[in-house]
Amino acid sequence: MIGYLLRRVGWSLFTIWAVVTLTFVIYNVLPEDPARVIAGPQARPADVARIRTQLGLDQPIGVRYVRYMSGLVSFGPPPADAKDDSAWALGPVRIDLGVSYLKRKPVVELLGRALPPTLLVGVLALFVQIAVGAFGGVLAAMRRHSVLDWGTVALTLVGISAPTFLTGLLLQHLLARQLVWFPLDGYGQTSAERLHSAVLPALTLGLFGAAYYTRLVRDEMIGLLKQDYIRTARAKGQREWVVVYKHALRNALMPLVTVVGLSMGGLVGGAIVTEKIFRWPGIGSLSVDAIVERDGPVIMGVVLLFSTVVVLANLLVDLSYAVLDPRVRRS
Amino acid sequence: MRSTRTKTDVASRGGQWAVRCLLLLLLGCEAKVSPPLGVRRGDATAARGGTLRTAFFTDVRSLDAATAFDTASAAIESLIYDRLVTYDAHGVIVPQLAESVDPSADGKRYTFTLRRGVLLHDGAELTADDVKRSIERSLHVKTPCPVPSYYERIVGYAAYHDGKTASLEGVRISGSHALTIDLTEPDATFLHVMALPIVAPLCKSAGKVYDRTFSSKPCGAGPFKVDRYENGQIIRLVRHDGYWQKGKPYLDAIEWSLGMQSFTQRFKFERGDLDYMREFSEADSTLFRKSPAWQGHGEWEPSLTTAGSFMNTEMPPFDNRHLRRAVSFAINREQVASVRPGHVQAQAKLVPEIIIPSEPGYPAQTFDREQALREMALAGYPYDPVRRTGGYPHEIPYLAIIDSYSGQAAEVYKQHLEQIGIRIRIQLVGWPTFLAKSSRRNTVAMGFSGWHADFPDPSTFFEPILSSGAIQDEESQNAAFFSNAELDDILVRARRSANRGERLALYRQAEAIVAREAPWATVYGYRYFELWQPYVHGYRPHPVLTQYIRDAWIDRDGRKLSGRARGARRAPTTTLALALGGLR
Repeated sequence: MIGYLLRRVGWSLFTIWAVVTLTFVIYNVLPEDPARVIAGPQARPADVARIRTQLGLDQPIGVRYVRYMSGLVSFGPPPADAKDDSAWALGPVRIDLGVSYLKRKPVVELLGRALPPTLLVGVLALFVQIAVGAFGGVLAAMRRHSVLDWGTVALTLVGISAPTFLTGLLLQHLLARQLVWFPLDGYGQTSAERLHSAVLPALTLGLFGAAYYTRLVRDEMIGLLKQDYIRTARAKGQREWVVVYKHALRNALMPLVTVVGLSMGGLVGGAIVTEKIFRWPGIGSLSVDAIVERDGPVIMGVVLLFSTVVVLANLLVDLSYAVLDPRVRRS
Repeated sequence: MRSTRTKTDVASRGGQWAVRCLLLLLLGCEAKVSPPLGVRRGDATAARGGTLRTAFFTDVRSLDAATAFDTASAAIESLIYDRLVTYDAHGVIVPQLAESVDPSADGKRYTFTLRRGVLLHDGAELTADDVKRSIERSLHVKTPCPVPSYYERIVGYAAYHDGKTASLEGVRISGSHALTIDLTEPDATFLHVMALPIVAPLCKSAGKVYDRTFSSKPCGAGPFKVDRYENGQIIRLVRHDGYWQKGKPYLDAIEWSLGMQSFTQRFKFERGDLDYMREFSEADSTLFRKSPAWQGHGEWEPSLTTAGSFMNTEMPPFDNRHLRRAVSFAINREQVASVRPGHVQAQAKLVPEIIIPSEPGYPAQTFDREQALREMALAGYPYDPVRRTGGYPHEIPYLAIIDSYSGQAAEVYKQHLEQIGIRIRIQLVGWPTFLAKSSRRNTVAMGFSGWHADFPDPSTFFEPILSSGAIQDEESQNAAFFSNAELDDILVRARRSANRGERLALYRQAEAIVAREAPWATVYGYRYFELWQPYVHGYRPHPVLTQYIRDAWIDRDGRKLSGRARGARRAPTTTLALALGGLR
């Protein structure tokens, strides 16, 4: 088990390194000049050249890569001029993602500010996905070939097909503009306001995933409800909800857990659009701005964070098999 | 039996809900705008108080005067940082923090005498030392200022900017409230660049060298100071009570929501959650402008831009002057403008109307298809528009920017050019790619060209984009790679002249060269429509400064009326919500 764990952690680290390196190369070989974007279209060539030198963009790509990677994780005390320090320190470990070209703030600071809003929406969206997905799937499976089942299948098809920008705009129009139940956009200042504001982006993201989960649980449940042990449980006189939720649903959740891990990337991708629509100050909004403005350090920081989250989520999914499935634990 | 009843119920309820949701969506999507909230009270008088709320589509990257140089930042900087000189309501340069500005007879020395008693946001009195320190901070070798070379004619600039000297030789303090700035040569644009926020006087907390943390707590001598600044969310300015203009500003505070989508801005504006708006979608702009209820509450912002198409004079086929002229004659500018009526205005000359108004006989390019066909023949590519034979035999790639009007305009050019035998293939790329490709020598034959005035002087439309000095192998701002000795000479003479009449005559000659040689086909200018609530007074679009809302004031009684109207406006939707609930 320990060997398996070490292998998995090793592969995870390699995956993160590969993603970061690939992103660095792609960003740096594009025929674009971040110094020109920073300076603006009207800046004179001499001024653009000066900015390029200040940012170290006049160095060969290999030098820039080594400089970036060597600064990424370091150990020891902060530099003497701590005012200019752009690293995040965790004890002796220092993580330095550089300084945003355009916002001129340390990337770790920008990510640190953007992460809590994204987590809030992400957790709520995940809750919506799983709750709606599990409930809808079970209901459809129990009433198979009914209007409810067909309606669920049809709705999930729409949910999967509709892009988040469409769902987001419709929800905003309906629930915020017409019915005035939620704020149109923004983050709010108090915890209550933030939770209130998070509902629409979370619904937008959650409904997309929920449609997929509903189908998954439905199909899984249909198969499971035909199993012998379910028939036995019913024969023993157990109530239907006990049979469904205790015996069938628990087993149906196995593939759901796998998909939750794999769908973290999708959740993150959806957040990029959703956060922009609802002016939610999370990682998604930060990413869009960074990509549009070619803010290299922020793009690299976001990719590093996302790849770490996705890789860790998948690692946790693998490990959670052992908890959910006694057969895996025993083996 | 129970199961059957459930199915029917579910089907029935589902159907009803679907119909209701559809109706609700359709009801909400009507193509009209709500009337303004409340009324404009004619007897309202200017009074202090109130918060003006507005929004930006983009984020504001920085509020450090030395580094922020985009449109969004500029609007806020004009409220935080007063400068030595600024523009009056007619776009004329006037002293602001300076009490007087005296240029020497040879135009190489400017003496600024500062107002006494001007308090910075930190409570300290403004002195000449603050001015010199702020200029040196912005032009320092370590400061990531985007446009330091605008000040390259200050004596000692090169040595100071390269880090070879500790101070800027040409800026000398001649008293606690007086300083002189020496130039290497006369420069008619010098006061314009002194009106930019780059050299605005800053508090001592800004330091002598650039420090990136200053952007989060900017400090200057403007009528407002920063209370809250969160990237991507909000900027809140509050009144600077020690402001040197007694009784000003009127507003207690101004709030910008940052990064707000234009449709959300519209929803909030209709609801009364925003007091001023500028970034409309095309459809919304038209709706508001056509609405009788909104007449008198909005105005067009003057255009300080020129856009069209550059033609690379070093690359075939546009190394052929007649072919360039054919293009300039072939484009129907009015038709291009009609694609986005109001916002886009036909413009046949390089310098916008607000800077040099047209007069009969003023040199400009014209739409004349017959002449275009003659130019095609002179170029060696005669075209028969009836039989559709002849013309330039190859397709020409045209570079435009994705998600911008440049792409739409290119579609119209394509139609026009086909009629004279030129076929273009539109290539849409992102903004950074466009900048990189269009500025590289021998790379792009034809593409979108656009320029926004840094300051309202004709020189800003010629020197950076069409002079020989602006040509480089990489990062060339002269995308047409147009080199004309006569034009270069005229531009230098115009820059050095202090005589307005002489300068205008020289720029008229420069415009004639552009019209004749056609390195650009100048086609249109872009402008914004601004709208404000009836209770907002004291604001009109400024000819130079974007969203110059420093003198705006709010009729608070009028806003209270609006608050009641807003409650009434929300009632129907609430009723609709209740109805939906009742039907459930």
